[in-house]
Amino acid sequence: MPRLSSVALWCLATVAPVSLANAVLADDIIAPASERFASKDASETPNFQQHIVPLFSRLGCNGRACHGSFQGQGGFRLSLFGYDFKLDHEGLTKGDKDKNKEPRILVEEPEESLTLLKATLETPHRGGKRMDADSWQYNIFRNWIKAGGKSVDEDSPKFVKLEVTPSEIQFGKDGEQTQIKAVAVWSDGTREDVTPLCRFNSNDDLIAAIDSNGLVKSGQTGDTHIVVNYDAGVVPVPVIRPVSDKTGKKYPKVETPTKVDELVVQKLRKLGIVPSDVCDDHDFLRRASLDITGTLPAPQEIVDFVSNQDSDKRAKKIDELLERPGYVAWWTTKLCDFTGNNASFLNNVGGNLGGRDTATQQWYDWISKRVAANEPYDKLVEGIVVATSRKPDEGYTAYCERMCAIYGPKKEGSYAEAGGLTYYWGRQNFRQPEERVIGFAYTFLGLRIQCAQCHKHPFDQWTQDDFNQFKGFFQGINFGVNPRDRSEQQAIMAKLEIDTKKTNGGQLRGELANRAKKGDIVPVDELYTVKPQAAQNNRNKDKDNGKQNARQPAGPKAKLLGGEVVSLMEHDDVRAPLMQWLRDPSNRFFARAFVNRVWATYFNVGIVNPADDMSLANAPSNAALLDYLSQGFIAHNFDMKWLHREITNSQTYQRSWKPNDTNRLDQKNFSHAIPRRLPAEIALDALKQATSSDTEIARLQTDLKGRAIAIAGTNGRAGNSNGSISFALTVFGRSTRETNCDCDRSAEASLLQTVYLQNDGQVLDLLNDKNGWVNSLAPHKAVRNEREEKRSDKSIADAKAARKNFEKSLEGNERELKKARKADNQEEVKEVEARIAELKAKIKKVQAGIEAKPEETPKPAPVVVSLEPEDLVKAAYLRSLSRLPSDSEMETSKKFLTQSEDRLSGARDLLWALINTKEFIVNH
Amino acid sequence: MPTTTTCNGVRRRDFLKAGVIGGTGLTLANYMKFASAGEVASKATANAAIFINLTGGPTHMDTFDLKPEAKAEFRGEFNPIDTAVPGIQISEHLPKLAQNMHLFTILRGVTHTLGAHELGTEYVNAGNRPLPSLEYPGYGAIVSKELGGNGNIPPNVAIPRSRQKTGYLGVQYAPLNTGETPKPGEMFSVRGLKLSGGLTIDAVEKRQALLNDLDKTFRGFEETNQLVKGLDKFGQQAHAMITSPKSREAFDISKESPNFQKLFGETPFDQSCLLASRLVEAGTRFVTIELGGWDTHNDNWNQLKKKSPPLDSGLSGLLQGLQLKGLLETTTVFVTGEFGRTPKINTTRNGRDHYPRCMFMLMAGGGIKNGQVIGKSNADATLPDSKGFSPDDVAASLFHTLGISHTKEYHTDTGRPIMIVRDGHVIPELFA
Repeated sequence: MPRLSSVALWCLATVAPVSLANAVLADDIIAPASERFASKDASETPNFQQHIVPLFSRLGCNGRACHGSFQGQGGFRLSLFGYDFKLDHEGLTKGDKDKNKEPRILVEEPEESLTLLKATLETPHRGGKRMDADSWQYNIFRNWIKAGGKSVDEDSPKFVKLEVTPSEIQFGKDGEQTQIKAVAVWSDGTREDVTPLCRFNSNDDLIAAIDSNGLVKSGQTGDTHIVVNYDAGVVPVPVIRPVSDKTGKKYPKVETPTKVDELVVQKLRKLGIVPSDVCDDHDFLRRASLDITGTLPAPQEIVDFVSNQDSDKRAKKIDELLERPGYVAWWTTKLCDFTGNNASFLNNVGGNLGGRDTATQQWYDWISKRVAANEPYDKLVEGIVVATSRKPDEGYTAYCERMCAIYGPKKEGSYAEAGGLTYYWGRQNFRQPEERVIGFAYTFLGLRIQCAQCHKHPFDQWTQDDFNQFKGFFQGINFGVNPRDRSEQQAIMAKLEIDTKKTNGGQLRGELANRAKKGDIVPVDELYTVKPQAAQNNRNKDKDNGKQNARQPAGPKAKLLGGEVVSLMEHDDVRAPLMQWLRDPSNRFFARAFVNRVWATYFNVGIVNPADDMSLANAPSNAALLDYLSQGFIAHNFDMKWLHREITNSQTYQRSWKPNDTNRLDQKNFSHAIPRRLPAEIALDALKQATSSDTEIARLQTDLKGRAIAIAGTNGRAGNSNGSISFALTVFGRSTRETNCDCDRSAEASLLQTVYLQNDGQVLDLLNDKNGWVNSLAPHKAVRNEREEKRSDKSIADAKAARKNFEKSLEGNERELKKARKADNQEEVKEVEARIAELKAKIKKVQAGIEAKPEETPKPAPVVVSLEPEDLVKAAYLRSLSRLPSDSEMETSKKFLTQSEDRLSGARDLLWALINTKEFIVNH
Repeated sequence: MPTTTTCNGVRRRDFLKAGVIGGTGLTLANYMKFASAGEVASKATANAAIFINLTGGPTHMDTFDLKPEAKAEFRGEFNPIDTAVPGIQISEHLPKLAQNMHLFTILRGVTHTLGAHELGTEYVNAGNRPLPSLEYPGYGAIVSKELGGNGNIPPNVAIPRSRQKTGYLGVQYAPLNTGETPKPGEMFSVRGLKLSGGLTIDAVEKRQALLNDLDKTFRGFEETNQLVKGLDKFGQQAHAMITSPKSREAFDISKESPNFQKLFGETPFDQSCLLASRLVEAGTRFVTIELGGWDTHNDNWNQLKKKSPPLDSGLSGLLQGLQLKGLLETTTVFVTGEFGRTPKINTTRNGRDHYPRCMFMLMAGGGIKNGQVIGKSNADATLPDSKGFSPDDVAASLFHTLGISHTKEYHTDTGRPIMIVRDGHVIPELFA
């Protein structure tokens, strides 16, 4: 709880107190309130928004534990963290008739106002003493009450911005101090020094501590931000204290071949951090392959790349990687994370006739198709934001026919081909306008706006009013059958002749899906929008706890976040102006959010970190860098591959993970690569690759079948036969896509992950796989895989048992035949003969199966593989750690192989050891 | 599952992680402090703890701190019932715990100010009010660091997972998450612990020796990279667990006698409690169990009628089971949510909202005097009657039972000294 500190201290830090109201300094800045109201004779009337509400924050009155509590405190409620002027004003001026309580202020006798008596502890106050009588704060409240206790009205000036000086602080040694000064600018041109009315925080008080009056004190070396809050202004000020004496002229010469490098080193120079050297070719290739394509480089590829003398080979490799299907799959997966593709929210999602796993796969495919075509990011997003089910000018019946063809026997067309990603809007956790605002801000703006649903956002500019006005863009977006198409729908329904009276909703849905599968045309739900209405119907507002039904049409206007109020009446689809705002080059969030997320994927931390929390108080570690990349991304027409190239071609991306004395502790300024655990899907794919045969590795480079990065849903089951992989995906923290947070994906290491790598049946099976590397070494002498053998033994045993049964039955029939012939019953003879023929055919078939069994196991093509220890060791290293062994590693491994029972079990143990090294499971 | 709602006035942390350079050993300065504090090591009786996290924030007024005399807008629908200890009453929907009141102690009037799930959870899981610049380790990380492993049994286990962070101690002290909860009478194992595919211990040891010889790339960088250090530690722990039959059996609740199993109900929480007792017996130092669903903004009483029975039977079973095995004296049980709930009923939703100012916690075993109520809330349960206890105090007491001085200092990798619990004091009444 903020405590009121000595007023005297503040006064010392300023010029001589001025008691004249509206005292104006030389540069037209109104002197701080602490000076103007220092004397009890001050006659100026303060304003509610400018002075009273900020003081409530400063004095801690509107905190959660005090009057900001939703229940109020002691019968007096303020809006949490302020900014709901109406509520705050009424809290002060209106008593509670029910409780026979008087108003908190008394205009006739200001000094007798309950507010003042309580805050000065003249009468008991559970919140303790908040200020002294006759202090400047007291005088502000008193004068405001005296003048009638006016609130904010239409004509009140609007807050424009908060100017904070200095804009950056550089400390050199212990004990240094800097005073922050904050000037608020209002729409009437007023500029007021509001330093004593601000709230101050430090993002890391170890590096820079700040007191409640804005005095910053130097702490440890490093960099952080202090944050100044006033009204809607949230201004972060970077504070730097170099970690070494290598700054300015003493800074060594560091090459900066790209703009990214230049901007990164610019910051490092101030910090006295020298970046690590550029990494070697092995590290580069492994890192870039894993990051860009989610795939380990193939052994031969590594050898070729390292021996290649082309000075431009890294840039060429990056281009090559960006063209591989792995890039498409991995970035589709990431985009599915951000957009929230989760089957459990897609039950019965409108327009889907194939079940939720089909929907989740269609979602994936929809994005994949666009990533593969490198569709500009804004265009891809447009397909989501203004998604409709129909093609332009398509009639309802035509739409149903097109959709049914997708699910029908011929499976013509696909969800991905036409229309937008309507499922984004149809998710069960994305139906209420409030949910949509929160989810939309998360996905496309990188903002966590949920706080503002109930109160002023404590670390950002957003107010509840901003939230509520933004909501207008998320109404009137419906799933179902547009009432105007009702007759067409009924006509289609009539042809199906389904007795709807005997089926409930679920049964009908199932029946329609079945009929579509058989080739019938059935009515299909769609996403359609309802035109906004001038007068909004709010009658039901109370009934559903204030939640406005998403089906209700939008009102006449809505306000963009931090932007204009938009008239919606001219738009059939209220989302159109929303999309226009997103892709506008002046939008402060859209491009930055994506750029920052892409950066975070390559560097483990975002330029703003966490990457999905781009609130004003959570400032970027390198603002110039984020600006450059965002503007470049926009200037390059939202070309995603441009962004990937711009980042990965920098030396900054290609730095070694080995730190030096100056950058050892740096985690956020990109001075060296930070080893990070492989993401879940990539870790499992890497395991599979490392243990596969050479031919299989080659296939995995270009073919996504069986790859974890190609799994659409979150449960590891949809559209992929690898059902059992879901356990491992969970252990390694695949995104759950549940809570509008990038933290749904985990990058942490855990004991269970290590247990999995060391001893899980799945990993051991991979090492023993009949198509795996170890078995490929000895095609004639497959290493025993007990499970496989047991399985085939069992099927042979089953076949033999079946043959025995048939044979028994045959004997019986033959006896019957004899009897029938004896009795000369021609009909019977014919019948039994037919049965015998049938049985004989069956026995023959079963017999063939039994005999053919040994051949059924495909023997790997005889590849000439050297079993020389040295060659085996090299091969094992290349396929797992993507490099050749060092001399001592070669020595140790060779010794191990020669001492092993046999070469193959030795090779298997070696590969087991390599996939259990830390080097394998981290990207470095 | 991660929580993301962070809607109150405390800054969300920036996930600064610090290392433990210099903080791992008992320095002379620490030793002196430890000794002069005097209060601790000799009296400690516990060598393990079980932490039950009632996530969502259970209402105090409808469980362990009923106010039958309070005004209607506060009171709630439930009636209090007598317990095995004369003078102590709890909710009528906790009858088994009422019968076992002599086996645990209720703390009333615990108080703090963080009314958001994430921050409150962090607070009661670490005993330190969350700071933006530092991530505090949860109890499990501290306990496993201080008390160390016990043979090949993982020192820190969460059933099925834990909200606790490892903070500046590093990921190596993170719990083993079982990922699943056991089912009644069925064999239970953490996947991957069984030797399969014809592997022998010898073969595993041979591989492991090779791995140790080869895994050298990051050697020397353990202290600057917590991931590297954590992976090292996990490697050793995993190997120890895989090669030890004892560690595998520790998870297999079906090995318990039928009579013992009968103490527990069939819900996942009951079975988790059963597993916790077995793990502690085998040597695990810290077990976390999560029982969620207490965020009863809506329809509070009907929800509680469903939520109370598993807590009632699972916790009763645990306390009885520990006693039966003679483990209650050496095992501290600590039960808490992240906050209480508004004493004043939210009539529009017939629920109670977040309320950290007044809440309950439960403690048992580990040398604590059971069968008491400590502390008191005021008449309408809005505040503690006098000073009340902070989560820091309860945390200090938890560490006290385990012989860990809560004033012990660690150092972050920037050299900042940090006490295990910054602001807490051991609550003497717990040990009276």
